[in-house]
Amino acid sequence: MSDDAADVQRVLAGDVDAYAALVDRYYDRCARFAIRMLGNRDDAEDALQATFLRAYKALNRYQERDRFSAWLYRILVNQCRSIAARRAHREKVFVREEALLLNAPDRAVVWTGEDEEFVQRVLSELDPLLREAFLLKYIEELSYEEMSALTGVGVSALKMRVKRACDRLRERWERIKND
Amino acid sequence: MSRALRRFGLVPRSLGAAALVLLSAVPLAGQYSDPLTAALAKLDANSKFAIDVVMDSARSIGLSDMPLRSRVLEGVQKKAPAVKIVESVRRKFGFLRTARSALGSVSNEELDAASAVLEAGGKPAQLQLFKVRPKGREPLEAFTDWADLITRGVPGEEASSAIIKLWQDGADDATFHSLWNNVQADISQGLNPGTALQNRIRETPARTVTPQSKQPPEGQQENQSSR
Amino acid sequence: MTDSERHPYVELIAREARRPVVTDQAARQRIMAAVRAEPLPRRRSTIWGRVIAPRSFTLSPVTGSLLAAGLVGIGVLAGALTSNRVGRPPVGQVPPVASGLPVSLQASDTVVKFVFVAPNAAKVSLVGDFNDWTETRMEKAEKDGLWSVTLPLSVGRHVYSFVVDGAWLVDPKAPMAGDGYGRTNSVKVVTKGSTL
Repeated sequence: MSDDAADVQRVLAGDVDAYAALVDRYYDRCARFAIRMLGNRDDAEDALQATFLRAYKALNRYQERDRFSAWLYRILVNQCRSIAARRAHREKVFVREEALLLNAPDRAVVWTGEDEEFVQRVLSELDPLLREAFLLKYIEELSYEEMSALTGVGVSALKMRVKRACDRLRERWERIKND
Repeated sequence: MSRALRRFGLVPRSLGAAALVLLSAVPLAGQYSDPLTAALAKLDANSKFAIDVVMDSARSIGLSDMPLRSRVLEGVQKKAPAVKIVESVRRKFGFLRTARSALGSVSNEELDAASAVLEAGGKPAQLQLFKVRPKGREPLEAFTDWADLITRGVPGEEASSAIIKLWQDGADDATFHSLWNNVQADISQGLNPGTALQNRIRETPARTVTPQSKQPPEGQQENQSSR
Repeated sequence: MTDSERHPYVELIAREARRPVVTDQAARQRIMAAVRAEPLPRRRSTIWGRVIAPRSFTLSPVTGSLLAAGLVGIGVLAGALTSNRVGRPPVGQVPPVASGLPVSLQASDTVVKFVFVAPNAAKVSLVGDFNDWTETRMEKAEKDGLWSVTLPLSVGRHVYSFVVDGAWLVDPKAPMAGDGYGRTNSVKVVTKGSTL
């Protein structure tokens, strides 16, 4: 029995705190997906909160033969879609830039090039369905079969979306280069 | 340049102390090429790529990329290693962005000057003290002198305190400039930088009104230097 | 992988996006607080049969496109990429002269004379952000070893240096600022001067 399955069993047996172990195990990884998908931390946190709460409520539906992460991600992807649909008009992708910079320790923040905001900006240019496919493939590193089970979309459609996402990025690079 | 102008009879032969010429808008012969592209072509692909990314980032968040452009061109002229140019451009971008976070939407020049303060060692929270200001009052001179004092060896906190206090007391550009001028003269004569600042600060009036800044005669500014 | 997918820019974005994000404990604690407020999920209990289960995600084409339409508003970029040349002079209006000096005169330009005393130097040039750091030769006045050049500069902050027989030297009479390469430059703040 995997750690995940064991923890699920413990929760179902009445040990609520065992759920904290699951949260700890998956929170950061889910957070990464949610932030990349939604573009800002506030929305991402809402999605994460809803995801882990729903997962908890539905734990009795989790079957041991499923990979827990896949099962959890199915919820996460759906939550991200819901939140995005509810907040249609969001202009600023980097919500906390100023607060972060001003609350930083007393040194000017040096941008190292490995910048979350830069990536967010680029990703936000992708159509959401393309972005979702790109993230699942290249950030979560799932197989197309896993992605299909998770999203309910066929494998060939997913391959097309990933390819189109990469095409968009390549086009963006061509534009920047020639600026 | 002056020789060319003399040839066309636009400048008197002798320069003299105040021989200033208003250049006409007649374009002189030359190519229409982009120096930045030429400079970047001298770098390896990865460095060029990294610099393009930084400049794109700056533009995308509404920052002028001119200071970054200047850094690249300067670095290439100074024959700095590509990795140093990339590092320098990234740092400058970071400082510009921090400056804007601290000051809000001010002029590009002010952001540039503020970023120099940060690069010298000033702190974002200190810059923030300049955010709210009476209409028409700009801390461009203050920032310039601030960065200079730290660069010359005045301890960061002392320089920052002095500049901030002067600003809050309403000092005008001339007051800042005068303080800076006196301190740098003292330092160049061997005085300890921190001491030089403390001495000169004591001389500065406690409260200065902000009248119209003394402007040089219209159209004329001089930059005398000696070696 | 197709060519697109192997493209270095795509790899860069993927690599950057894979970086872990920093999260705080408080959010996790909030989750556990919410969880503890819930009734325990019971195994195979029909009472909990109505608990919201993960939805099945077979999207019809119509639903898919509606979702896409609804999601289109996320993350609209505040500034366009290619057309937002913030701070850059209009293309085609900056013809450099042979000496590398851009002669782009606008109403806010002021004329500035740079002076450097170096009686024994063979060649003195001026470099700065106003001439893309290419050397603008200065003229030596015969009598006093004074080298000078007069330039139009836009109002604002400028950074410069003198190159004296190949050595980059700051203006001893001007404020300094770090050049980002371990050395310093001089700073000139140009205030409103004449208009053209």
